[in-house]
This record gives sequence, structure tokens and C-alpha cells, in this order.
Amino acid sequence: MAFDTSKIAALSLQAREQLTSSARLLRDRLLPMMADTTGRLLRLFAPAPATNGDDTHFLPNFCRGNAVGGIVLIAELLAIVITLVTRRISENLFQDLLLVSLFVQWIALSGAATLCAARRFLDKLPNSRALGFAYLLLLVVVLVVSEAAVWILWLTGSVSSPRPEWYAYFHIQNFTVAAIINALALRYFLARHQLRQRTLSEARAKIEVLRSRIRPHFLFNTMNIIASLIRSAPDKAETAVVDMADLFRTMLADSENLVPVGNEIAIAKKYLDIEMLRLDNRLRVDWHVGKFPRKAVMPILVLQPLLENAIQHGIETIPAGGTIDVQLREENDVIHIKVTNPLPRLRSKSAAAQMPSERTLDNLRLRLESHYGKAARFEVTQDTERFSVAVEIPIRGETP
Amino acid sequence: MRVLIVDDEKLARDRLRELLNEIGGHTVVGEGMNGNEAVEKAAELNPDVVLTDIRMPRMDGLEAAMHLMGMENPPMVIFTTAYDQHALHAFEVNAVDYLLKPIRKDRLAAALDKAKKLTLQQLHEINQAQESPQSRTHISVHLRGNIRLVPVQDILYFMADSKYVTVRTTGEEHLIEDSLVNLEKEFGEKVFLRIHRNALVATSYIKGIEKSTAGNWQVALTGLEKKLDVSRRHAAAVRRWARR
Repeated sequence: MAFDTSKIAALSLQAREQLTSSARLLRDRLLPMMADTTGRLLRLFAPAPATNGDDTHFLPNFCRGNAVGGIVLIAELLAIVITLVTRRISENLFQDLLLVSLFVQWIALSGAATLCAARRFLDKLPNSRALGFAYLLLLVVVLVVSEAAVWILWLTGSVSSPRPEWYAYFHIQNFTVAAIINALALRYFLARHQLRQRTLSEARAKIEVLRSRIRPHFLFNTMNIIASLIRSAPDKAETAVVDMADLFRTMLADSENLVPVGNEIAIAKKYLDIEMLRLDNRLRVDWHVGKFPRKAVMPILVLQPLLENAIQHGIETIPAGGTIDVQLREENDVIHIKVTNPLPRLRSKSAAAQMPSERTLDNLRLRLESHYGKAARFEVTQDTERFSVAVEIPIRGETP
Repeated sequence: MRVLIVDDEKLARDRLRELLNEIGGHTVVGEGMNGNEAVEKAAELNPDVVLTDIRMPRMDGLEAAMHLMGMENPPMVIFTTAYDQHALHAFEVNAVDYLLKPIRKDRLAAALDKAKKLTLQQLHEINQAQESPQSRTHISVHLRGNIRLVPVQDILYFMADSKYVTVRTTGEEHLIEDSLVNLEKEFGEKVFLRIHRNALVATSYIKGIEKSTAGNWQVALTGLEKKLDVSRRHAAAVRRWARR
């Protein structure tokens, strides 16, 4: 007999182990998988998620009064719809509405409370899985509340047994309605979240563009120079201020305007005038400008960033300065621009730190790509002494 | 106070000079256009304060300040800058004074009043806070109160003996007080390769690795007749480097 009890103990231990391991499997594998699949299904028709920006949680905080208020309102509207479209269940319409409201509000508030309680857990999950889990949780809530409702009816004596003949229909009906309404609600929250994310990342991108156009280093150095000139050479200071105003007006322009080549050269020259004040005789520029037909137009601020790059990474880093070579010509309806600058033999640390990013050039390349597609060419060549960028763009603005 | 002004923009130097005149009580003893000039002129003119821009060609203001701290009697340093987000935060954290351009007269006067000496520690921490901290571009050699700046890219090798480290360029040899371990850590093996317990050679000057008649490995350097011995312990690493 002693032998048998030990065998039973071993068997029960084995069974318990199996149970815990399957529970673990359920918790670690199956549930997340189910949640993932549900989440993905719900997401099927969702707009593509915003690419950058933090992927913060999309569910509103159901522990807060205004979120719960919203839920109550929606639930009440749903109750009114249900009352109007279903057969009468009691003597008059208002009593129907009262009963339906009571039931719907019960489900809605239990759902909100569950999501509030599960918030910490859901917040840790990736969005798609959190979506699935939230959905499954809400369906469980519906099942539990429906079952509880039947029991209450039985306990109060309204129905004769805990399994009235409409029991199955009641459950299926509630479950289906909840499945649809919850899916709609969660899709709505997700879409709202994505819209907010996109607006945020667009705003950030705009700031980034502005900052890359108006380099703070250039702005403040120039202000310092102007402060110096106001004493020594007021007329030069005046010209510098007016040039700065023109340059900034162009930089702050929002749209990708197409301007005649001559205008682009004029704004580039104003920029160079300011830089010449700063760099004194260290900056020299050789212009080689060919003839352009009157129809030749190009996006604003193509030449200026090329010059800025040549100064920032070339002239500024050489104690004696150097000469920038600028070539602009038209050939077979294509505008060729080439800017070449000398490179320093020795690079200081802070100058070297700026090298890898090359933000100015990257931005320009992206802009040309989005404007002209493959019709634009952008090529960088570099040896130990010289760095040059060649740009080719169609003479007319329209995309091919 | 005796002030040395360093900035690569002439008009920026003019402005500082004028503001200093208006404040009064200070003399401008000299001007420099980059970090190298800052160090050389400071050694020559012995100013009390160096006002230096940060972003400059060849050697920047931060590295110049580091070399200045190696002087026997280092000057006080006040940085001027137009816009360096990362550096500014580091300045605040390390309580190092700086002036923002356009420079205000009262701020300049106040900074001169409370100017204090920096420590190498502060400068290292500011350097670490830069977007991508880098090694020095020059090695400073101190000769009887004078400073020579040797560009790192001119250096063939560092050789250690009992107390000093010898810096060898194509034409010159200098003694510095530094350790090979520190140099190795600062520049990394992409720039200087350890070939012996007492030698680091510049990878860009390595011409070849060959076996001597005695049977040990040697490194031949461009612009140097004598060949350097590779110790047995480092032979494998050197040959691994050569194969890359």
C-alpha cells in the first residue's frame, strides 16, 4: 500500500508539472499569439503607422473621468439604438430603454474598469499585441456580465431557471454585438493615435528643415559681426542687415518655388557677401556662369546650400582660406551646377566632428529627388585636396 | 589684465578688442586666428586671460585650452561661441565660463572679473560631451617655457624609455611626458599600432613588415631608414594588422 501512495504522489506531481507547464505555455506563447493575431486583424484596414515619432500607447487612460464619461455617452447612444431596433421586452419603450441602458452601461463600465486595471500591463506591450489583448479582455467582460445578468434574473425570480430557453441566443447576441462595437471602438482609438503621431512627426520634420536652412552658427556669428560693424563701418553693417533679411525671407519661404536661374544666383551672392564679411579675405569665389534661356527655372535654395557646404567644410577649416569654384551652364535643356572647394590638410576636432553628418547635402539631395525623381543627378567627388558636388536638373520645373 | 584674443573671424576679434577698450583696465597683448596660434602666442606673450572661440580651423579652442593647461603657469581661459548645443551644456555642468555671440559688454566684464583657471579634468569632460569626442590633433612639446605643437599626422612613432616618451617625426625628435598606454588609449590602434612594449608606430607610415637576418620581425616606415623591432609578443598582432 505504501508503494501505491508514493506512486500516486509521483503521478500527481507529474500532473501538476504538466499543468503548470501548459499554463506557462498558455501565458507565454498562446495568449500573446492570439493577441497578436487579433491585433493584426483589427489593424488590417488601419492606415500605415507613422514611421518616426515615439510609439506611445494608443489607448486613452480609462482611469480618468473624461474618458469614462465618453464611454458612458457612447454606451447610452448604443442603448437607444438597440431599444429602437429590437422587439419590445416590457410594457413600454422607456422601461425597455431603462433595462437596456442598465445592461449596456454595466458592460461598458466593467470594460473601462478592466482596461484601467490592465493599463500597466497593456502599456508594456507593443501596440499590435496590446490591441489584441484589450479586445480579448473586453469580450471576456461581455461573457461574464451576460452570465451574471442571467443569474441575477434567476435569483430575483424573474426567470424560472439559470438556463432559460433564450440563454444561448442571449449570449450569442451580446457577444456578436460586442465583437463589432469593440472592434470599431479600438480601431477608432488606433486611428486617432496614428493621426496624432503623424501630425507630431510632420511638425518635427518641418522644424528640422528650418533648422538645416538657417544654421544657428551662421546666424549668431553674423549677428556678432554686424554688432562689430555698426561701430567701425555702419554702411557695411546696413548692407549686411538688408542682405540677411533677403536671405531669411527666402529661407523661410514654405513652398518649393521655382525661380529663374538669375534669382537663385542673386540670393547666393547675397549669402556670399555676408560670409565674406565674416571670413574676410579668406573667402574667394570664381564664378563661371553661362547663358541661360529665359524659361530656365530651378527650385530656390539649391546653389546656396552647395556654397554653404563648401564654406563650412572647406574654406572655414583652412587658416589661409581658399577659392570656391562655381560653374553654372545650360546644355540640352539641362542645368549643370558644379561647386568645388579646397580641403584642409589638418582638420580640427570640432571641424572633423561635423564631417560625417553632411546634413546640408543630404537634405538637398532628398529635395531634388522628391522634386524631379530620376531626372535630377547629384554627384559628390572628393580627393585629398578638393571636394566637389555636381548637380544636374531639367531646365523646366515639371516632373517628367 | 593682459588678454590674448583668439578667433578666426577678424571682425569678431575687433569687437572683443573694442569692448575691452570700453571696459578699461585691460590690455590686449595679442591676437590669434586658430588654436595653434593661441598656444604659441600664449607661450610667448604670457597673457593672464585667453579669450578663445571654439570652432576654428586646424586646432579648435577646446584642444588649445588643453595644451595651455600643460604650461608651467597656465592662463585663465574664457570661451566664446556662437552656438554649440552640446558644448554649452558641458560648460554649465563643469562650471566653465563662456560667452555667447553676439557678445555683451557687461557679460564680458563680469566674465573677466571672475575668470578662473581651468583644470584638465573639466576640459576632458567637455570634450566627452561633444557630438563625437575625438583625440588631439597635435602633441604639445614643452621646451624651457616654450611650446612646440607637433601635428599628430606628422608623427612616425612614439618610443618609450625609462622616464620619457620620444616623439619622432620625419625631421625631428622630441621628449614628452606622457605614457604609451595613454597615447594608445587616446588614438586607438587604427592610428598607432603597438609593435613593442616600448613602441607605438603610426599605421599610415608603415611601408612594410619584414624578417631581419637575425630572424625577428621588423617594421619599415616611410621616411625613416632605421627599421623598428617587433617584439615576439606583438608579432602576431602586427602581422594580423598587415594582412588587413
